[in-house]
Formats: sequence, C-alpha cells, structure tokens
Amino acid sequence: MDSELIQQIRSEASYLLKDGTVKCVIGYERASDGLTSRPFFAYEPAAVERLIFDETCTHNLVRYLLDKKREKVAIVVKPCDSRAINLLLNEAQIKRHMVFIIGVTCSGVMETSCNDKGQALQARCQTCQMTKPLVYDFLVEQKLVERPEGEPYLDIQEIETKPIAARRAFWSEQFGRCIRCYACRQVCPGCYCPDCFVEQLDPLWVGIRIAPKENELWQITRAFHLAGRCIGCNECERVCPVDIPLGRLNRKLEKEVKELFTFQAGLSPEEQPPFATFKKEETLGFEE
Amino acid sequence: MNLFLSKEDLIRWLDALLRQRVLVAPVRVQGLILLQPVSKVAEVTLDFGNTTLSPKGWFLPPMETLFSVQSNDGQQKLVPTTIEKDAVIFGLRPCDARGIALIDRPLLREPSDALYRERRARTSLIGLSCRQAQPECFCTSMGSAPNDPSHVDILLTEIDNGYILQVITEKGRALLSESFAEYKGTLPKPPEPGAVPTKEVVPAVKKLFDDPYWERLADRCLHCNICAYVCPTCYCFDVRDYSDKGSVERIRGWDSCQSPGFSRIAGGYNPRVTKGARLRQRFAHKLLYFPERFKDVACVGCGRCVRSCPVNIDIREVLRDLQQLEVKSGS
Amino acid sequence: MGLENPFVPYLATLKSVVELTPDIKLLKVELLDPAVRAGFDYKPGQFALLSAFGQGEAPFGIVSLPQHRDGLEFAVRRIGTVTAAIHELEPGDILGVRGPFGNHFPLEDYVGKNIVIIGGGIGMAPLRPVINQILEHRNDYGKLLIINGARTPQDLVFAPEFQAWMEAPRTKLELTVDRGDEQWRGRVALVPNVVKEVAPSPDNAIAITCGPPIMIRYTLAVLKELGFRDSQIITTLEAKMKCGLGKCARCNVGDKYICQDGPVFTFEQISQFLEQP
Repeated sequence: MDSELIQQIRSEASYLLKDGTVKCVIGYERASDGLTSRPFFAYEPAAVERLIFDETCTHNLVRYLLDKKREKVAIVVKPCDSRAINLLLNEAQIKRHMVFIIGVTCSGVMETSCNDKGQALQARCQTCQMTKPLVYDFLVEQKLVERPEGEPYLDIQEIETKPIAARRAFWSEQFGRCIRCYACRQVCPGCYCPDCFVEQLDPLWVGIRIAPKENELWQITRAFHLAGRCIGCNECERVCPVDIPLGRLNRKLEKEVKELFTFQAGLSPEEQPPFATFKKEETLGFEE
Repeated sequence: MNLFLSKEDLIRWLDALLRQRVLVAPVRVQGLILLQPVSKVAEVTLDFGNTTLSPKGWFLPPMETLFSVQSNDGQQKLVPTTIEKDAVIFGLRPCDARGIALIDRPLLREPSDALYRERRARTSLIGLSCRQAQPECFCTSMGSAPNDPSHVDILLTEIDNGYILQVITEKGRALLSESFAEYKGTLPKPPEPGAVPTKEVVPAVKKLFDDPYWERLADRCLHCNICAYVCPTCYCFDVRDYSDKGSVERIRGWDSCQSPGFSRIAGGYNPRVTKGARLRQRFAHKLLYFPERFKDVACVGCGRCVRSCPVNIDIREVLRDLQQLEVKSGS
Repeated sequence: MGLENPFVPYLATLKSVVELTPDIKLLKVELLDPAVRAGFDYKPGQFALLSAFGQGEAPFGIVSLPQHRDGLEFAVRRIGTVTAAIHELEPGDILGVRGPFGNHFPLEDYVGKNIVIIGGGIGMAPLRPVINQILEHRNDYGKLLIINGARTPQDLVFAPEFQAWMEAPRTKLELTVDRGDEQWRGRVALVPNVVKEVAPSPDNAIAITCGPPIMIRYTLAVLKELGFRDSQIITTLEAKMKCGLGKCARCNVGDKYICQDGPVFTFEQISQFLEQP
C-alpha cells in the first residue's frame, strides 16, 4: 500500500471538507475482511483518516454521484471511472461544478472475489492502456506498473468464433442462473432510469418473473440500453452473485459500436453518442 | 445409536434415495455451489463450504404459480398448483436448517401457506455438519452451531474415513433403506466460527431506530436484492398476475424490501423513500420485528450476505456498531 | 377452495356499478358459492383483496354493512393498473375476493358517545359503513357530525346517501369542497378549516378520520387544539399489500403490519409507531 498516495488523498479530502468546498468525500476504506476495500463517505474532516487507496479499490464510485446531486461532493476516481463521469456529464445527469474529482493514476486492480482475493490483476485491467483519469480537479500519482499491450476483446472473440447455436446455448445456460437481483443495474452508472422497463406494468415488456426466457430478455435489453454508453468498468460482472459474465455481453456491444461508429463512450464530456445524435450525412447503407 | 457410513455406503444410499424421490443436493457449477435436483449421484459435490444461494429456494421458490385461471365456456375456474413429488435435500448445513425452521413461523402460521406447507411436509432434510467454519460464519452467535441437529431429519458428520449418521426424527429413519454399521466413537469437536455480540440487540435496534447511523450506512448500499435473495431467513415475496394467450397465472416470486418501489402505492406515494429507511427496514425486520412476533432473531449467521454484498454491508459489523452506539447513548 | 390455499380467491360476480365521481365507482359484488357467502362475516373497518384476474389484486375497504346480505360493496378509485382493470368490469363479470382481513372500528366501545366523522375524497369509503351502522342503531350513539370534503363538487363521495344522512335524527352533515363550480352553493373551504369552524366538542366524543395525508395532518392539529386526546382520534391506514395474511412482509409500518394489526388505529397508537405511515 502506497502510504504517500494515501496521505495525499487524505489531506486533499480534509482540506475540501474543512473549508466547506464539499459536503462529502466519496472514496474507499478498508472492508470488514481486512483485505479488500469498500466505498466510504467522509462527511467530517476527522473521518478522512479512514480513506485508503490500493489495488483492491475496484468499485466504480461514480454511480453514487446520482444519489448526491443536491450537494457538492468530492470523489476518488480511477481512469476507467472517469469515463463514467464523462458519460454522466454528457447525458446531463450531473453538473461539472458540483463534483470535485480526485483522480488517481492506476495500473490495474486485483481480483477481489472470495476465491481469488489479491491473487491476480482483474481481466479487464490486464489489457487496459489508460493510466490517468480523463477528467480531474486534483491528480494523485502513484508508481505505475507497465502492462503489456494485449488484445482487449479476447474473451469476446472466444464466443464470437462459436457458431450461433453454441453461442445461444452458452448464454441460455448463463442467464438460467440469473435470480433478478438487479445488482448489475444498481451498480451501473449508466442505469439511472427512475422506472426501469422491467418494473413497468403497462406495457408489460418483461415483468418480474424469474424464468430463463424472461431473464434473457432482461439482460439483452439492458445490454442494448447500454450500447454506445457502457464504459467498460465491468462492475456488473463483479457484483453478480451467480457469476454471469455480464461484462462480456456489454463489452461486445461496446466493440460493435466502436467498429460501426468509431465511437467509445466516456472519452470526452462533449462527445456525440451515436444513438443520440442525428447526422444528415450518415446513410449506413441506405444509399439513394 | 449413531451409524457409520463409508463414502461408498453414502453414494449407494443417495442412489437409492434418488430412485424414490427428487434428490436435491449441492452441485458445483462454474465456481458456484448450487443446490439443485440431480439426476445422478455423481453430480453431487461433497467438498464445499456452503451453497451460494440458501435452501429456502426449495420451499419458497424464486418464482412459482399460485394458481391459474382457466376459462371454459364463459365459466372461470381457479386451479391451484399442487405439489406432486417427495423430495430429500442432502447436504443442508445446520445454520440453513435453522433458517428454514425460522421462516416456518410466519409462513405456517394460520392460515398456513399451502404450497410452502406441502413442500415442507414432502421434503426430508439430511443435514451435513460443518468440518470447517468459513471466515464469514457466525452461527454460534445466532442460535445455531456447526453440528446442531435441531432442525434436520438426519445429521451426517464427516470424519476422515466416512460419515457418522445420526437419526434425528422418524421422518429421517424412514429414509434408511439399509442397515449401516453402528458407530461407537465420539462425535468430533465442531469448528469454532467467529463470534459476534448479540446481547440486547432487539432493544438496541428499537432505541437506535431514528439514529443517523442507518442513513450513513445506506450511503454505499446499492439497493439491489442480493442480501435478501441469498439469505435463508428473508422471505418477502411479490404476487403478480401474468396473462399469456388467454390463460392467466398468478405468480409469487422473491422480492426485497431494498428495492426502491417496494412500498410504493398506486398514485406514487412511498412511505419509505430514503435509502436509510429502506436499509433500516431489513435490519429492523430481522433483529426487532421478527423476534417480537416469533421469539428469535431472523439471522442464522451463515455469512452469505457478507460474502455476496458488493459493497460490504456486513451484518456482523452492524451488530457490533449497534452495541457500541447503545453503550454510548447511555442505556 | 379459498380456505385450503389462502392465496386462492373466492369467485364473485359483479352485481352492480354506481359511478359516484368521475374516478370512483361503487361496486356491489356477490360471492358465487352460497356456503362462502353465508360464512363471510365482517365488521366495518375490515378489508378484502379484490382480483381483476390477469391484472392483479389490491386491498379495498368493505363499505357495505354485514347485516345486509345482498352483496359486498367496495368504493374503488381508479388510480393504477388493478383499479383501472376493476373499473373496466361490467355487471356479470367475474372477479376474485379474499377476506375479510384486518381489525375493525370498535363501534361497541363508542356506544353512548358523540361521533365526529371527518372524511376527504376516497377517505369517505371506510367511513361510510361506520355512518350507516350508527344510523341503523341510532339510539345507541350520541350526536353524529359528518364532515365530508372533496376537491370539487363532482368529487364528493356517496352523494346518493347525503339526503338520508342529513335527515337522520341528531345528525349533522357538513359538505365542503376545495373549489366550487357555477352550481355549487355550499361551503368552499378545506376540511381542517371546517372542523375548526364547526368546533365539535371533545367531551365524550370520538373522532374518526380518513383522507389524504395532508388533510389528516392538519385535521389532527385542529382536533388537538379543540381538546381531543390522541386516544379519541381514530383512522384507517393504507399500505401496499400483496398477501393480506401477514406473510409477505410488505405492509408493515415499523413493527405493525397493516393487514394484521390494522388497518384501524388510534392516533395514540400511531404516535408510538417506529416509522410514520
């Protein structure tokens, strides 16, 4: 654990709280297992002593900005998390002046699931090339470890090479385990609809039935709602209690959008997302 | 009289059970341990801590049909679901068995929940003592123990060369189709899970009901349904009608007091609108309302919520915090 | 059928519908099975869960009197999916009934007392059987004051019964609306203000009130100012319900389950609730 890094975060947090710039600092603290970390909300200067930052800080804290819109808050973000901030700025869900961003440079976080605690770098980090948050007000730099430039969509290509029937069988089996806990939706910074489509009764799109076909429709529809918006933090996959590889589904659509529109969400707060932008010159095959 | 089974005896016995009824047992699926009906004894895993989801799903399924509405020449008939099969659950940990016994209290109280009652009557429970406690276990603080025989029909205890079998109820005795050798030794000492203070937790929750502790704790809560769904003693359910091509089914399924719309009534009014109020509801239900009505706290110390909560809301910590806050407030 | 599995409703047929207001209908429902009909005994304050099969089930106060054996009456306001489906039903259609559930207004304890009924909008529904029960046993009770308010004259509930209420002995009916119209010659005032103006005496009195939360809040304040104790003020609470049996753990307000411990509570009890409704 880099104690200088943590000191920098703590002193900046303390300063922001002391002079009332922010009402709360959203960061990380040590979890109850003594090894991993969890989100922490510091409201008083004395509380900043609980803030930590290390390679177990996997949570994307940006979704908490959606609960704290009424007051100015500070937030600790890694490079991938900063893409979520750009997404929310772009979609007018948060205001830039209401967030003080404490950016931290990063070369990856460790697996934190019970089976593999602290053993290996997370799959999503192994091929990530970002080291610095894309947006920040205060930057905290730590010593970075070089990561090899790898193919980012290897796990997706593994499924893409299978014939359709095999792909269908794979996903049917995965979705069969879904218990509709909606943790994937709740943890996602891009899922903020006040009334999710699964809870609508009229029209009844999917409903709350926990059954394979309905689970499939739930997951695929959510993936489509995130197409062109998913910033690849993989939180959905991390939180799933029944180990459904949701990250692969959402990143597959991220890959498709990148190939079709040369677009990736969250790279800038002023981007023009493909599904929310109309360009007259776009014909996409519908020639005159 | 305790009996001894070698591993081969056990497999043969499970195979015999499988021929007569549905055998529900722990199965390793992609890194998870899931309790599900098996078609072959070979599918059963004997090497596991505890199942990812609790066995309550067998008695109160994630989704089931209460009844269907059938229309014949303008006449409507309600056809309730019936439970047809006898089943046996193998590999039930004592904490989970206590969990089932706890949810019996609201669900079997008159008028009893017919489907739950039928499944309970038709399902036998073969418990499996724990050889090791997991880091998140705290069953001994919550009225159970790694070798507690209280709520099962048969209790197995694994030892180096086989299993000790204790017949606990007549329903358990009826599962034995062959005679096994007598076990004359002593039962092994059970492991010691971590301890959590629970003295005076019920009045503490009442006293600290309006404390800002809950709103602060709820800051990181995602309000997903994971804790309620993995928990052996959470039993909130939703009831909805689904119609498909003219047939109507009334479905009952899992729900959680954590979901934002849980108490919202038609017209939009929601009495429990803050995150803190919702989070407090789960703990208050388990640690105050349930014991006030049904005598015991609705937590068995299985540790699943601690393992599965994505943001580490740890009930053991909550119990400790409540004790400390109570002391501070000068009880 | 309903008794074996308490989730399976009794089948009933819709006998008649009266449009009380643009969004409230009074339904009279007859249970199909004669044995069930004979055994369905209830008291004012209790509720039943009505099913519009295919859309769902929701709780409604039973607003008829148990001694009138010609059907169960419910006043249903169209506000959501289930109530919209119920509003679509026509006489002869089949619906489901589960009940009766909950506690009741302890009218036996109010014998000899003066009764003040204060209702707003659909809140008049659970109060109607109380009024009618008192009128059917008029000599058992003291004075009866009914304050019935609504947003507009068209929204006043139970208009067909106002004449009978007004003409009953030792009974006063005060109607009021938030907004009048060209024909309205009556009071235009908020319900709590009417309570303040009429100023019923708390001596030997019981006040029973039901209506929108904001009306209750201000009415409660006025009644306390007039000298009513919390134990003298009764209300009936609503909550989202699914089972009505104390099993789905959804309708609780703190440690009280509305379907089992309620829906009728005194304000003395409510002031002790851990959560507020």
